[in-house]
This record gives sequence, C-alpha cells and structure tokens, in this order.
Amino acid sequence: MREKTDGYAIEINGLTKTYGKHRGVQNISLTVEEGDIFGFLGPNGAGKSTTIRSLLGMLHFQQGEIKVLGMDSVRQQKEMLAKVGYMPSEAMFYPSMKVRDVIRFAADARGEDCRQEAGQICDLLEVNESKRIEELSLGNRKKVSIVCAMQHRPRLLILDEPTSGLDPLMQEAFFGLLLKYNSQGTTVFLSSHVLPEVKKYCRNAAIIREGQIIKTDTVENLSHSNLRKVKVWEKGQEREFSYAGDMNELIHRLDGMDIEDVLIEEPTLDELFMHYYVSDQQK
Amino acid sequence: MILLRHEIKRNLRSLLIWALSIGILSAGCILLYKGLEESMQGMADAYSNMGAFSAALGMDKLNVGTLEGFYATEVGLMFAIGGAMFAAMTGAVMLSKEEEGHTCEFLVTLPWGRGYIYFWKYAAVVLLVLLFNIVTFLFILTGFAGIGEMPEARELALYHGAQLCMQLEMGSICYLISAVTKRRQIGAALGLAMLLYMVDLMCRIIPDIENLKYITPYYFSGGADIFASGSVEGGMVVISLIVMAVSVAIGAVVYGRRDLAA
Repeated sequence: MREKTDGYAIEINGLTKTYGKHRGVQNISLTVEEGDIFGFLGPNGAGKSTTIRSLLGMLHFQQGEIKVLGMDSVRQQKEMLAKVGYMPSEAMFYPSMKVRDVIRFAADARGEDCRQEAGQICDLLEVNESKRIEELSLGNRKKVSIVCAMQHRPRLLILDEPTSGLDPLMQEAFFGLLLKYNSQGTTVFLSSHVLPEVKKYCRNAAIIREGQIIKTDTVENLSHSNLRKVKVWEKGQEREFSYAGDMNELIHRLDGMDIEDVLIEEPTLDELFMHYYVSDQQK
Repeated sequence: MILLRHEIKRNLRSLLIWALSIGILSAGCILLYKGLEESMQGMADAYSNMGAFSAALGMDKLNVGTLEGFYATEVGLMFAIGGAMFAAMTGAVMLSKEEEGHTCEFLVTLPWGRGYIYFWKYAAVVLLVLLFNIVTFLFILTGFAGIGEMPEARELALYHGAQLCMQLEMGSICYLISAVTKRRQIGAALGLAMLLYMVDLMCRIIPDIENLKYITPYYFSGGADIFASGSVEGGMVVISLIVMAVSVAIGAVVYGRRDLAA
C-alpha cells in the first residue's frame, strides 16, 4: 500500500540535533519532491550525515519532525525503511561473509526475493559474488553497497557520498542505474562533495553549512544567481572578488577608482558553492 | 529468525572453540578419575580438613574421593569458570561489535527496528549458551561412559540446570553492557566473570560478607552444594531470573533510545 505523501518523498520540519554541547544540525527544514534527484551539498562536518542518520532513525533528534514517503520516521520506522534503499559513505559489511551472502541477507531481511534484480546489478557493476568482504577494496565494497541499496527497487534512495572509491567507468555505470530507477519513479537523495556530478544529475539541491540549510533551489537557479566574479586591474595590479547584490552599488563603488580594465562574469558552479561553503568570517 | 541464524553462523567458530575446549577438558578430567581414585581417597580427608580452602571449594561438604565429589569440585570448577567466561564474552560483544565494526549502519537500516534486533540478538546469546551446554554435556557423558560410572542423574541434571541459569545471568548482564557501549567490552566481561567467582569464594570463607552470595550466581550453582544437598536454592534462582529480566529490560530501553555510531 502506498502512503499518502503530499507529493514529497522527504519532509523535514525544524530538525534540531545536538550532541551534548556540540552542534549537529539546527532547525533544518527541507522538502524533496517525489521523483526528484536531489543533491545535498556541504563541507565536512556541516551536518549532512547527521541529517541523513536522523532521517533513518539512527539518531534521536531533540526537535522537529521527519516524514519519509508520508511516514513518520520515528513512529513508522520499520515501514519507512522497507521502502528505502540506503548507501552509507563507509560501505562496511561483515568481513568473513561472502558477497552473495551479504546481498542475500539484506534481501531476506526485507522478505523479498531480489535475486533477479541483484544478479543484473552485479553483472553491470562486475561484482564478484564469491569473494569474501575482507578481500574487497573500498570500491568493490561500494559496489556491494549499491546492490544492497537497490536490489529491492526502493521508492527512495538515500546515498551518502556514493561515488567515492569508484573508478570513472563504474561511476558512469552507477549513475546509469540511478537514472534507470529514477525513470521508474524512485526518488534519489544524493549527498555529495562532487559538484560536477550534482550539476549533471540533480534537478534540485540544498546547501548545508554549520548545521543550517543556507540555500535550497534548482541546480539551474543556483548556477545562475546574482553572484558575480569581479576582476579589476588597477595601477597595474589585478584584484579579484565575488560580489552578490545590487549592480548599481557595485558600479558606484568602482566609480572614482583608477581602473584600467574590469571583467564581471558569472561564477562557475564550483565557485558558487565555494561562496556558500565558506563562513562569513572567512569571506 | 534471519538475524538469529546469522548470529549463530557468525559465532559458530567461537562456540566450537569454547565448547570443545571445556568439553574435552571436562571429559579428560573425568577419565583421569579412575586412575586417581585410590590416591584421591587418601587425600580426601586432608582436603576436607583444610579449613577455609575446603569451604571455598566445597570440599568440606563432599568427599573428593567419590565420583560426585571429584566431579563437583574438580570438573565443576573448570566448567563453571569456562562456561561463565563464554557466556559473558558472547553477551558483551553481541550488540557493540556492530558499532565497533562499523556494520551498525548496514544492520539498523534494514527494515527491522531496534526492538527486533535487540530481541533476536539476545535470543542468539541464549541459544549459543544452550548449545555450549549441550556440546560440553555430551563430552561429559562420554567421560562418564568411559569410566563406566556416573553421578545420580537427578543431581547431575540439577547441577547443569543451575549452571545454565548462572551462565544466562552472566550473559544477560554482559548483554546489558553491550547495549550501552560502542566498543566490544571483552575485558570487562571476562573481568566480571572472574570477579563474581572471587566473590563466591570469599563469601564462603568470610561469614561477615556471607550476604554477597545473593550477588554472585556462582553461589547457587556451586556443584558441591547441589551434590551434597540434592537441591538448588529456589530463592536464589528467582533472584537470578530477576537479574536477567532487569538487565535485559534496562538494556532494551537504553539501546532503543541511544544514538548509534555509524
């Protein structure tokens, strides 16, 4: 039975999670539409994993409410997890188990026969099912993690740094799989540091910094903000800075300076994200 | 059941090592009895008159020269400590190994819920302790078959029943430790098994601390008392069951509420 979702795969309202005196995330609100591929960006320690782990029920948050596929993530955790595929950043499994046993264990836990789907993903990603986990590199463990997350055809895929450790060919194959599931209705929530892959595959994105969401928009809009990269040549010296605001104000500031040349251009997506990443004090 | 099967498979090697070691040692010790019987008879009087030492090991209640006495004091000592250590270790790593091994994120995001994981992992501790007792008991019976003699079946059953109860109590206390910590507490588990054994020895020797017998599960499961009296103190068994229930309940509450490390 499909739960009523109001069109959202993820709804986070006022999520606050602290670890004693340490900041986790502060009053986060976020929605991800069903069928979307949503990028979740932020530097290390910004609160991405805290948000994801709160969402999956690993952490008990102090305030807020999380709904996943219309289900309360705390009260309906089991039902919610049955519809979700999760790929953690660290793909760790039981070292002495064989790959096929791990994949089977994950399928059995869901009470589903996923052999056909798992077989197809294993073939595509060239997963050697007869090896033991302890014999695998990080990249190969990641592949096992992909199979475990996708074999039951989840309605929502939550992926935490999924491509780290995968070679470029496998990354391509992985995103091919992601697009295939997405075209079949699976929502994807992708936490990543890799901006080109967010730009290439995600339709919407949120940026988190120091435990707070600082920007949520379409990737296209994020790429075309009013932020400008300004280069000024003055007395033989080159100065470069970012400017976001009223253009009249910028021109007014430049007026009166002994400028030899000026270049005002749109920043790249990478530069845009760096602008959001660094704190105000660092700017 | 899937998780129970998974845990039994993962702990099979440890179970076999402990059960075979204690089982073979116990059977070997029993087989030695015939060869030592005459000299043990001669030493029995000396053993029973060694004051505190005799009281501590229960040799003041049983004749160590008889099979019952020899089994309860010599074999029983090995079996009790070995069994308690196995149960304590099994309980202490059952939950915390997931966080220490970073497999917790994989396990708890399967659609089971923490209550299910907690319940079936405890069931695995109980089943492993039960299997340990079955395997070792088969070796012990083989030892008795080898010498063509065995203690009264009733006392033997009572003793092993009490030992099972003691091991389950140890396993349950250590399962609570496992529920509240993020690292495998093998040292603490083995330390607890030895500490409670020392408490048992001391409360048998020093009358002023006799009440400590309610704390240590070695007391009610001691072979010498059971073979000498032909019974197990029911009140102590009830205390043991309460300790088990309280440990498992507290562990369930803590495990259900705490943040889990990835």
